[in-house]
Amino acid sequence: MEFKDYYSALGIDRTASEEDVRKAYRKLARKYHPDVSKEPDAEKRMRDINEANDVLRDKEKRAAYDALADRVARGGHPEGDFQPPPGWDAGFEFHRGPNQGPADHAEFSEFFSSLFGEAERRGAARRNYRARGEDHHAAIEIALEDALNGAEREITLRAQELDAQGRPTFKTRTLSVKIPPGVHPGQFIRLAGQGMPGHGGEPAGDLYLEVRIAPHRLYRIEERDLYMTLPVTPTEAALGAQVKVPVPTGGVVEVTVPRNARSGLKLRLKGRGLAGKQTGDLYLLLDIALPPADSEAARKAYEQLAQASASFNPRQHLGV
Amino acid sequence: MATVSVTTTAISASQPLAASELAHACGADTEWVVQLVEVGIVQIAAIEAPPEHWRFSSTDLQCALEARRLERDFGVGLDAAALILDLQHEVRRLKAVIRAHGLR
Repeated sequence: MEFKDYYSALGIDRTASEEDVRKAYRKLARKYHPDVSKEPDAEKRMRDINEANDVLRDKEKRAAYDALADRVARGGHPEGDFQPPPGWDAGFEFHRGPNQGPADHAEFSEFFSSLFGEAERRGAARRNYRARGEDHHAAIEIALEDALNGAEREITLRAQELDAQGRPTFKTRTLSVKIPPGVHPGQFIRLAGQGMPGHGGEPAGDLYLEVRIAPHRLYRIEERDLYMTLPVTPTEAALGAQVKVPVPTGGVVEVTVPRNARSGLKLRLKGRGLAGKQTGDLYLLLDIALPPADSEAARKAYEQLAQASASFNPRQHLGV
Repeated sequence: MATVSVTTTAISASQPLAASELAHACGADTEWVVQLVEVGIVQIAAIEAPPEHWRFSSTDLQCALEARRLERDFGVGLDAAALILDLQHEVRRLKAVIRAHGLR
């Protein structure tokens, strides 16, 4: 595990005030917000900035992190091989108050969750009031086929716990999650009782998994609709044809390409998209693929085509 | 390593979230959800119905979580959060259209 320098992630130093942290975060968030950023690594940078902000804006976490950074600086450790020393957070307690927002550490690093994940769980368990545990949020990336057909996936959650001797150990929980058929990107799957433990005997919170769909080799997703490029030969496009097309639910369907079809023509397969209030469609975007003129016969055929369509000028609208 | 099987529910029209569940998922209270409804960050069928009858979708949960983060990290009011979310969704929609047309 790599030791994360949260100060350099925000471009500030150890003496930065709370206001400096806030300003630095807001400035960088505008620069790296994936919706507006032109930087190639915007998404990763935004995650790092969010994580650094979560620690440094919080007095308790920042103090514990500073103390840990001092110990690391004194002791030294091989690059990329960081393990938090036992009892690193002794004397610190992390509170997640009712107004601190969601405990959404899903996107944070292993470094963060090993330091603060379990510390927050323990902090929650120590407090002496009664309330249901906080809900947790994470994301699950699945294949398009699994979203359409349903699947069972295992997810692994890591948290640090203290063993009988008080030493920190990693505890891994593996959950088997049933993904119902017809889920769409952005839909949440709720796992009852898998969030933070309850306070004072109250039930645990839930874990919400946000569905993300992995990029697909063939299909692009736009809201509930799917798009696929369908290559056809010039002959198929000109004369019309029946062509075979794979569909994401499995299997192959036959589609009619109309006569005189042009490149970019959209053919719609109704109801073959993602489920939702209105089930999406599958669109096929026609792409005319030219056979290479790499043989005498092919060259001859092209020449004959040129003669047969001598009056056809694709550049007429250019005035030439 | 033991594998635990847990009950899963996909939040959808047939299995929506109640106002109290939406609030809890965002680390907030029901009063905050009422404010979200008032500024239109989340959608309900009939505003005159009492909050305990409100039902929310996955999209509502996503918008509520984003609004919560904007409040916390940028100190914005919910009116401004609503505008930011509208603009964000429009940017994402337009980017998807551009991608679907193979322009990027």
